[in-house]
Amino acid sequence: MKHALYIFGFTILVSAFYWYVSLWVPQKRTEPPEDIAISADLSTAEMVAIGEEIVAGKGTCLTCHTMGESGAALRFPDLGNIGAIAATRVEGQGDVTYLAESMYDPNAYVLPGFVAGMPAVARPPVALTDDEILTVIAYLQSLGGTPTVTMATELEWQGQSIGAADAAPVAVGGNRDAETLFTSYLCNTCHNLDGTPGAGPSLEGLGTRLTKAEIYESILDPDATITEGFAPGVMGTMLTATGFREQVSAQELQSLVDYLAGL
Amino acid sequence: MTCFCRTKAVRALLVGLVASAAVVLLCEPALAAPQEADPDYRALPFISSRVVMWIIAELHLMFAAFVLAVPMFALVLEFIGYKTGDKRFDQLAYDFTKLLSVSFSFTATLGALLTFGLIVLYPALTKYLVKVFSWTFLPYVLLFFFEAVFLYAYYYGWGKFSPRVHLFLGLMLNIVGTAIMFIANAWLTFMNTPSGVDELGNLTSLWDAINNYIWMPINIHRLIANMAFGGAIGAAYGAYKFLGARTMEEKAHYDWMGYTGNFIAICALLPLPFAGYWLGVEIYAYDQSLGITLMGGTFSWLFIIQAVLIGNLFLAANYYLWLSMSRIAGAERYRRFIKYLLGVITLCFIVWATPHSLVATVEEARAMGGSHHPILNVLGVMSAKNTAVNLLILTTYVSFLLYRRANKDATVSWARTGNLVQFGIFAVVVIFVVFLGVYGYFVDAQTRIGLSQPQVFSVLFAMVAVTVIDLFLFRGARKRGEIDWGRIPARAQYALFFLAITFAWLMGLMGYVRAGMRQHWHVYGVIRDTSVDAFTPTLGFAGLVVSITVIIFFLFIAVVFFLSGLSSRKDWAERTKGTRRWFRRAKQEQSDSTLSVEAS
Amino acid sequence: MNILILLIIVAALAAIQLFVTRWLPLNRLAWMAIWWVAVYAAFAYGINPPLPSSIVVLFMAIVTLALVAYLSADSEELASAMRAITAFMVERRFRVALLAVLVALPLLAALSVYTDLSKPPQPPTSSRTIHPPPPVSISFKGKTIPLSTANNPYRELQHSDEAAFAQHVENGRRIYFENCFYCHGDNMQGAGMFAHGYDPIPANFNDPTTIAMLQESYLFWRIAKGAPGLPSEATPWSSAMPAWENFLTEEEIWDVILFLYEFTGYEPRAQGMPH
Repeated sequence: MKHALYIFGFTILVSAFYWYVSLWVPQKRTEPPEDIAISADLSTAEMVAIGEEIVAGKGTCLTCHTMGESGAALRFPDLGNIGAIAATRVEGQGDVTYLAESMYDPNAYVLPGFVAGMPAVARPPVALTDDEILTVIAYLQSLGGTPTVTMATELEWQGQSIGAADAAPVAVGGNRDAETLFTSYLCNTCHNLDGTPGAGPSLEGLGTRLTKAEIYESILDPDATITEGFAPGVMGTMLTATGFREQVSAQELQSLVDYLAGL
Repeated sequence: MTCFCRTKAVRALLVGLVASAAVVLLCEPALAAPQEADPDYRALPFISSRVVMWIIAELHLMFAAFVLAVPMFALVLEFIGYKTGDKRFDQLAYDFTKLLSVSFSFTATLGALLTFGLIVLYPALTKYLVKVFSWTFLPYVLLFFFEAVFLYAYYYGWGKFSPRVHLFLGLMLNIVGTAIMFIANAWLTFMNTPSGVDELGNLTSLWDAINNYIWMPINIHRLIANMAFGGAIGAAYGAYKFLGARTMEEKAHYDWMGYTGNFIAICALLPLPFAGYWLGVEIYAYDQSLGITLMGGTFSWLFIIQAVLIGNLFLAANYYLWLSMSRIAGAERYRRFIKYLLGVITLCFIVWATPHSLVATVEEARAMGGSHHPILNVLGVMSAKNTAVNLLILTTYVSFLLYRRANKDATVSWARTGNLVQFGIFAVVVIFVVFLGVYGYFVDAQTRIGLSQPQVFSVLFAMVAVTVIDLFLFRGARKRGEIDWGRIPARAQYALFFLAITFAWLMGLMGYVRAGMRQHWHVYGVIRDTSVDAFTPTLGFAGLVVSITVIIFFLFIAVVFFLSGLSSRKDWAERTKGTRRWFRRAKQEQSDSTLSVEAS
Repeated sequence: MNILILLIIVAALAAIQLFVTRWLPLNRLAWMAIWWVAVYAAFAYGINPPLPSSIVVLFMAIVTLALVAYLSADSEELASAMRAITAFMVERRFRVALLAVLVALPLLAALSVYTDLSKPPQPPTSSRTIHPPPPVSISFKGKTIPLSTANNPYRELQHSDEAAFAQHVENGRRIYFENCFYCHGDNMQGAGMFAHGYDPIPANFNDPTTIAMLQESYLFWRIAKGAPGLPSEATPWSSAMPAWENFLTEEEIWDVILFLYEFTGYEPRAQGMPH
């Protein structure tokens, strides 16, 4: 019994020693990135300020990039003077386009001497929004140059990003009622549910005829299989015209397919 | 006695079933329609729910590691005993196995607690994980059931079956246990490097989700680390029994048990850095920024703490070997080498613990001309550290070699040449390892990373080659005396405890960084942590939680040791015979039924 | 490395080994203490530039652990060390020494607390960049001025039309004394009447590390954009310099730049020369 007490005391002593070691190293608490409110009418200076915050915080850029430091671990190119040299990197690409491409599609062009490995910042886990990326571009331009980007600048990659908010736990599983989706995307104008054909085939009992994968296919690529008696191309045009293709999210699509499969 | 055993087995089975039921219950919400009123998180009063889950998960992990590791070397020891006919090995294997049954129940209880905690405190995350992994729960529960069957058959069937059947039971126990760990690892590695889901987290392929980037590396890493941990805890048990032992015979047995446990732990520790290296490579392959968060950001200081822990492990392991020499006649001859070995270990320890970026005041930084010290900068990089680790391993091996030959005098004719060859191999390998370490400074990063492999292989080569020579060299050697098991100072037993505590702490720390590198994500890049605990705490706070976990773990282990020792205790009636009068009177008052219960 | 000190340490160790042990046999405890001191001296004084104290503490902790392990790795040596310690604590002849140790220990602790607490306030480690790199171009009242190539348009008059040049310099003088001299001073030494209220103090143009090593376009940028136009690496101690683009025309700024160089006698750094 006496030994057990000694040993227990020894355990506490050794654990406390290691705790002390862990207190000896620098203490830094890392906060999760905060969502910075970005309005459409930011001035350039405000954009630069917000962009700088994102670069250091939510964007986690400084994990790999340095800002005007030499000699430190250079995993990715130094950004200290990027505003001055961004336009010279890729032939025929302006600085805004170059910086945007480097963020949306980082491996399209990799600076010679560096290894490809940067994740697309518009995708999770970094998941910057389009607006946030604009502010980051403004900040990067300000490093050795003058920002020309505004909140109104349009980039070809915009509209593809999946913000972190979408991926938050609350968003898992469909939220919008599938029946509402069916009418709000105007599916019901062509497809009846009661067995009578409209401009498109009736969807009555669809789940008994098609698998979920087939339903996905008929929505995403309507002309792959055409029900006899209906013209190809119509539904594809309609999907574009109603804005379905641009607006529908993956989870809406999923709940829509689930709904259709249950008919 | 049999009656008692059965009740214990039933109780443990019940606990296991409760854990399994909890897992089954988990599936329920996935089938039911999602309720909108469900909160994402629930809070506990007074204490952060993250810390509670953290401690429970770590305790569960430590017990699970122990329960999975012990059958591995119990089986090996039993096999050695079976092959050589040496009863001591069989007895030792049984001694280790005795610790299993209670630990198994604890593991299951902690697992159930963890599951309930997840359901209650993290409903949204749990729901998501259940959605992804629902199909893995059934095999998990089934395997858990088989684990219980094999474990108790292995334990209670000791000496009751033919040796081959019993060995087969042990093998099955190991296979089932490993399979259970593999499944649980899939859930957990998925949270670090999710695959098989689209960007919104919808499952596209269950197999991809299971076989994610770090699943196999973690499986292997844990398998080896479990061995090291289990060996260290087993050694601690030996030390505990040694300290309480009354007869010389007991002392000898438990001294040997502690030695064997330590030997297993150190042997498993040696390949661990390489498994860890593979794990790191896979993390980088999955997402470079995840890898850099792990190795370059705040966590880089965590690896300095790790260096201190591992340095201590090597120091304590060598220390134990040196003290062990005192039980061998003839070991005095080698005592004078200790100070040189210690010098090398200290030097390597210092190199390994040197941080790359320093904590310095402004004046110190000015004197250094920046935040990097010109000399320390050289020691703070991978080249120096790999070299240091390889030399540490080699030094520990030399300590073991000296221990091995302590009481032997080679009688073969080529003894002198053999020794010279051995020394030559060591010299060449050390020079080669140091050369590669220095050469690493003059080449680019890609080549430098490639250099670590020849370093490792040359050290492995030296260890294998020298061992082979040694085996022949001391064949038919003249013995100066037998190993006098049990003649060892109590300090050595505390060194074993130190090793066990350090292993446990190291496990807690690395568990923290495995979970912590996800930062503000539950499932990295898929499910964000939106709770109040989304921040990454300071290393000091993490160290406190790990310390508390380790202390709780050892309290539990004390209970396990106590319970495991009960069976070898004398019966209560016999033990108290002839004690004080009031005790005797009390005994007479006991009814027969109470007595039998008490005895158990 | 401070070879001299390291040599002294090695020599001292050798001297103890060779001479002292002859008439005073040292037990392992004493050797431990000697080694501890020697290693500490090597870490603390033997390396140049000196190691940060945090590193010395870490290294000495490891060394202490190792020495304790060494002492206790041999039962007989440990026993003899313990006997020596016991003797020191109980024997009469050590009474004075024991007393000294008992007094010294708390004093040492107090001293370390005192030195820890009496450290003067420390500035933040990150330092301010005095001459931050300029942007490639700036916009001045709607016009883009490329700083990397822009030259003072009136500089060439210095050789072609001296009268016109003198007129520009004279205009610069007027502007300087109307606007700049309150802070930068009548001698351009950065000691104007308001100068003492500012931190950092206004630039001293006589200092050869200011305008003498800068291009005129750099001065134009600093005058036009002032402190608000400084990039972040020049913060946190932003200067009080106003952005003169709101008060002066482009010509006036170039003129005052001419005057600065004329008055101090420096030549501007030519465009295209490495910075």
